[in-house]
Amino acid sequence: MGAATAGTPGSPTRRRLLGGLLAAAACSAGPPRRAIAAEPPLAFGLTPVFMSSDLEVLEQLQAYLEAASGQAVQLVTRRTYQEITALLVSGQVDAAWICGYPFVQNRRELSLIAVPLWQGEPLYRSYIIVDAERSIDDWPDIAGDIHAFSDPDSNSGYLVTSALLAERGRRPDGFFRKSFFTYGHRNVVRAVASGLAESGSVDSYVWEVMRDMEPALTARTRVLHRSEPLGFPPVAAARARSGDRRTEALARALLSMHEDPLGQRVLALLRLDGFVPSEPRLFDPIAVKVALLRRVE
Amino acid sequence: MRRLSRAIGGWPVNVRVPLFVAILMVVVSAIVSERVLSRLAETQSRHLAELGGAYLDGLSSSLIPAVLRSDVWETFDTLDRAAGLYRGLALMHTVVTDARGTVIASSEPRGTATGTQLQQGFLDRFSLDGGLRVSDELARGYLRRELVYQDRTIGTVYAVVDISHLIGERREVLTALILTNAVITAILALLGYLVVTRMVRPLRVLSDHLQQGAEGRVQPIEAARLATEGETRRLFRSYNALVEAVNEREALTRRLAEEEKLASLGRLASGMAHEINNPLGGLFNALDTLKHHGEQTGVRRASIELLERGLVGIRDVVQATLLSYRAEGSPRPLRPADLEDIRLLLAPELRRRSLSLTWTAELGGELPLGAAPVRQAVLNLMLNACAASPEGSVVAFAARVQDRRLLVTIDDSGPGMPQEAVDYLTAARSGPTPFRAGPHLGLWLVRQLAESLRASVAVEGSDLGGTRLRLDIPFAAPEALSHVA
Repeated sequence: MGAATAGTPGSPTRRRLLGGLLAAAACSAGPPRRAIAAEPPLAFGLTPVFMSSDLEVLEQLQAYLEAASGQAVQLVTRRTYQEITALLVSGQVDAAWICGYPFVQNRRELSLIAVPLWQGEPLYRSYIIVDAERSIDDWPDIAGDIHAFSDPDSNSGYLVTSALLAERGRRPDGFFRKSFFTYGHRNVVRAVASGLAESGSVDSYVWEVMRDMEPALTARTRVLHRSEPLGFPPVAAARARSGDRRTEALARALLSMHEDPLGQRVLALLRLDGFVPSEPRLFDPIAVKVALLRRVE
Repeated sequence: MRRLSRAIGGWPVNVRVPLFVAILMVVVSAIVSERVLSRLAETQSRHLAELGGAYLDGLSSSLIPAVLRSDVWETFDTLDRAAGLYRGLALMHTVVTDARGTVIASSEPRGTATGTQLQQGFLDRFSLDGGLRVSDELARGYLRRELVYQDRTIGTVYAVVDISHLIGERREVLTALILTNAVITAILALLGYLVVTRMVRPLRVLSDHLQQGAEGRVQPIEAARLATEGETRRLFRSYNALVEAVNEREALTRRLAEEEKLASLGRLASGMAHEINNPLGGLFNALDTLKHHGEQTGVRRASIELLERGLVGIRDVVQATLLSYRAEGSPRPLRPADLEDIRLLLAPELRRRSLSLTWTAELGGELPLGAAPVRQAVLNLMLNACAASPEGSVVAFAARVQDRRLLVTIDDSGPGMPQEAVDYLTAARSGPTPFRAGPHLGLWLVRQLAESLRASVAVEGSDLGGTRLRLDIPFAAPEALSHVA
């Protein structure tokens, strides 16, 4: 599958938000306001989005991060996870809200800044969803489907389902009649709801938030399979930037977001509780899946 | 069809004209409606084709990158977003296939799944040249566009558009046309009825008067109706002038007929005088004989017998004449003696013209017929027969009863009756005398008498070489006898 347009360019994701929060945290302990103009803005990368009010989230996130980190923040969005990951690893962005899968893959080059808290935990799941009317009971029944993945670098939108198949010695190409990438978790829901795909792999956080915000769309889908809890997509920085003053300011902004009124509004928009520091081992289960997949391949 | 046409031809003109107007309007309406709807359909098709073309053009440029990569999601997403941008186009279904005809994505994935082949029946609905194809029956428009990249066809877009609103619009226009035209037709037909009724009113007046004229009552148009203007006034005046001329002619004919009657009477009187005069010499001789030799018994008896026979002959002649020309008086039935009277009255004319008479009268008693009109009619016809026959020739009379009818035949040796006289006598209904005044006016009298007797007259060739007239006189009902004077 080639690259696809996924959502509105410039929309935020939790990864973008994490980046913004990190920047804000760094800023809150950083230099006075007048120093902002003298420095280049902190580039915070955000991966594809799911919410229709993305622009509002972006504006508020940027405003909070700039206020909290005391530095100019530039939100950088790209269509695919891969593009943001490449920018992050190559240092073209200072920090980025990425997925656990690319974090695991690039663990040596990256350092964790913060992990979002969702429903009180830094965890989420991968869902396999199908048409709400479809009468199947277990995930193996989706064999032979047209299946919608989110992104080849997405944990919940690709890796988890692929690993599930790998445990049985199967690969998506052989298991499904056809599969394609939508480059956005919301698009996976749209694809399954419209009938374009018969099943899809989607982020549990996205599906649950959509159930709240776009109930008509999610009502046409049904969760067939829930994965075990996995580490929530983190905000990371290039290891070389670790300890950097600007990165630290971003981290502080993110970690204290729940204490700030503007930060609370951003968190409310994102349906998140806040950001917490975390150890890389949170993502070990994902690393296991990556290893499993490599063995099958 | 001919019967219908004949039936319609019998309808009044004030019905036929509105009917013709209505039929004409229906035909015109049908033609106009067909043209309007046809143009509307063309316009709708053109707009639909333009809008559809714009849709496909916009779609093509967005789709080509996705189709090149067979990107299912991007293709679907493009279709999904485009559907919302062309609200003027009631898109039902858009399908994108790759170069091999395999569906990449459809706007209705549940109906047309990714990875399938489109059915031939579906493909056949599209025009291969890329134009719009419309199916009114299915209320659908079908658009097809090939996706060409670097001179290669990399895929095809098929769009199905709902055109039921366009068909509905045409139906509304048709309904409006029908209603409008029906109202206009009804108004024009009503106007036509009123106008033509008004226009033909003078003709109807004229027609009514002509009808009355045909029934023998020729009346001028009342003065009140002459108060109109223009052609109607001229028409009425001309008609009244005609009526006046006809009535004058009728009056003249009656007068001439009366004169003819008098002339006949004159001839009869002359004959009668001769009949009376002839025995008078003998009677005077008998008187002289009585004066001079009255004392002789034999002479006296012989003279008195002679006087008696002479006076009886004179009395018979006078009585016959009185009976024939007595217009008034109580009617009485026809007796054999009435015919004998005619024979007596004819005698002088026969002698004068040296004609011989063949006479057959077989009445067998009284007949329920008015004596006076029969006598007058027969006498006139016999006088005509005598007049028509050359001197020294034969005239024949025969009368017999059959099936309660009196059948009379009169033959002459003349040159034959003029055709106009024959037509006049044998016509079903009498009218003004058709021929000029002349020696045939006696026929007018006969005709009048025949009508009063409800008799029919037939004319044919006679064995004598001249004309045979047949009078067929049905017996009158007893109560009617009193009216047949």
